Amino acid sequence: MQLKDLIFELCAVPSVSGFEKRGTQRLLEILGDKLEFVAVDGVGNHIFRKCCGRQNAPKIMLDAHFDEIGMIVTDITEAGFLRVAPLGGIDAAIMQAADVIIYGKEPIRGVVCSTPPHLREDDELPEITALMIDTGLSKERASEIISIGSPVGFAPVYAELLGQRLVGKSFDDKACAACALFALINAPTSSLAGDVYVLLSCTEETSRLGGVTAGAFSLSPDYAMVIDVNLARVPDTKSFETVVLGKGPSISVSAATDVPLTRATQRLCEKKGIAHQMIAAPSSTGTNATSVNLTREGIPVVDIGLPLAYMHTYNELIDLNDCNTLCALISEFICSGEIAEQMRCLEG
Amino acid sequence: MACIELIKKLSNAFGPSGCEREIAQMIKKEISDIAPDAYIDRMGNLIALMRFGDISASNRARIMISAHMDEVGFMINEVKEGGLLGFDTIGGISESVLAGRRVLIHGKNGFVDGIIASKAIHHKDKNERKKAVAVDKLYIDIGAVDADEARAYVEVGDFASFSSEFYEFGDGYIKGKALDDRIGCASLIEVMRSLYANAPSESIDVFCCFTVREEISLSGAKTAAFALRPDVAIVLESTAVADIAGVDASRRVADTAKGVAVSVMDRSTIYDKELIRLALDVAEAEGVKAQLKRYVSGGNDAGSIHKVCDGVRTLALSVPTRYLHSASCVAHIDDVCSQARLCELIVRNICEV
Repeated sequence: MQLKDLIFELCAVPSVSGFEKRGTQRLLEILGDKLEFVAVDGVGNHIFRKCCGRQNAPKIMLDAHFDEIGMIVTDITEAGFLRVAPLGGIDAAIMQAADVIIYGKEPIRGVVCSTPPHLREDDELPEITALMIDTGLSKERASEIISIGSPVGFAPVYAELLGQRLVGKSFDDKACAACALFALINAPTSSLAGDVYVLLSCTEETSRLGGVTAGAFSLSPDYAMVIDVNLARVPDTKSFETVVLGKGPSISVSAATDVPLTRATQRLCEKKGIAHQMIAAPSSTGTNATSVNLTREGIPVVDIGLPLAYMHTYNELIDLNDCNTLCALISEFICSGEIAEQMRCLEG
Repeated sequence: MACIELIKKLSNAFGPSGCEREIAQMIKKEISDIAPDAYIDRMGNLIALMRFGDISASNRARIMISAHMDEVGFMINEVKEGGLLGFDTIGGISESVLAGRRVLIHGKNGFVDGIIASKAIHHKDKNERKKAVAVDKLYIDIGAVDADEARAYVEVGDFASFSSEFYEFGDGYIKGKALDDRIGCASLIEVMRSLYANAPSESIDVFCCFTVREEISLSGAKTAAFALRPDVAIVLESTAVADIAGVDASRRVADTAKGVAVSVMDRSTIYDKELIRLALDVAEAEGVKAQLKRYVSGGNDAGSIHKVCDGVRTLALSVPTRYLHSASCVAHIDDVCSQARLCELIVRNICEV
């Protein structure tokens, strides 16, 4: 399987934040014969692993959150129109007449209502909770399929633009999940520096502490890498808080993660000639990394980012070259005896 | 319903104002069995003449039926330094339906995919989050890393359209990027088929016009009407409605699934009262679902047709369409059938007026 195909397939799995288990079956169809499936836990974390086969080997955790932003149905109104509330940070600017899928008893199509110009009182966008979703169904028919609490996601339509740039929904963070899984699938068992677990954590977009804390607590790894998307530089953004598409994954230096492990990962990239970009995230990375770091007695963690433009839209944009480089970085990381040794010394 | 497949094909095809050639060829092929002499005029309108009754009669009625082929779209107006593209809209598109959308650019060497984008919500302040992003703050990203790469595919003046899935959903609804006015085109094809299969006995010439550039200035219909000098014109359109939750009945314009909308007045035309009467009477007599458009809004090819030469008696039959001029127009398939059926019946009864 090609990395691009895995990214597209994984990102199309329905996994609105808090409803990750709706994706379990599809996830196993895609990955079941490629990696050992450990469990889907009580909160909705999916865990896969590949063991190195040695006794007392270190336990390495790769975390990528598997949930995606979406909405939740709060009311079924007249003529089958739905009211919703956001699950995660949804930009009102992309919502008018957007295509969505409502995951009721079965998935059904919908379109977000857009107010025609002759009825607009001002140019302010309605808040997400003021939006209505058009199901094309009567209230009775809609109620047969949908209920209060049904999740709603954007419609998955993927494409490749020039220069191997990919567009579509939910690359945040399932493109990173795909890279972690792809790297592990392709790493020979004998080359692994330890037993490697991929934690596809839940609810990052809604309650960061929920999913990954439970996952990291139960896995109790010796050290970990959190892989999430990082805001790419586009017009009207600041260079120091963004990364550049096509220049490789980012490595965050942050007081909220493990600096020695971060620097060790940086040195590894330098040594192996893996393109990367350093970014300073002084007191927070805005990712799962801090939560992982503060789990149990403390878990050393490095925060890696995949450059992504137009985050939280249904047309997020990533560079396949960055994804390939990210896979290479992850491969080196999970196969690095040097890092494993450094982490072991830390314990001693 | 065979017509859904036709609407899908037409709606998915590329045809912003000024770029209707692909649509014209598609329709010409579609009607080649019933209108082999259909021709494309110098403006780009596709015109098919169907003659019925006594060809030698001197007082033959001339009826023009029009549906516009063009859709709203975009034009590239700048290739920026980083390879991003500036653009402007063709036709009236609200800024609120632009950000995040997929587009198709007709570049110099073929079609190029792109997305309309701006900075992510994470980089927006509180005020920015409340407003739609202005067109001049949006850009199209085609994946090019710099201007040179972008210029290899796209140049200033290239046309673009929304690119969005066509699908059926709910109970009988369809969704597509260019239902305005490919549903009118599909209806007109249906009308032609019905008239062809069951020819009226009256001596009438029916000019079936698939027009260009409605979205920018009602241009194609203007020149076609001048050339054809019809006595009567029927415009098959889609009209923006707001039959959505929270909107008063008085401001909804019309309701989807309740039949074809007959216009009394819009922002460019006051319609012929006898034709309106005929439409409503025929609809009632034949059991075709029809409703009056209830709000003075919008405009269509009637605006230019009714003013041509010494004036043309004009009627507009519109399919109520939600979210018009967005990538996701929504209409009810039964209303399209009502539109085609009522138009056909009016042609058959036109000698009454």
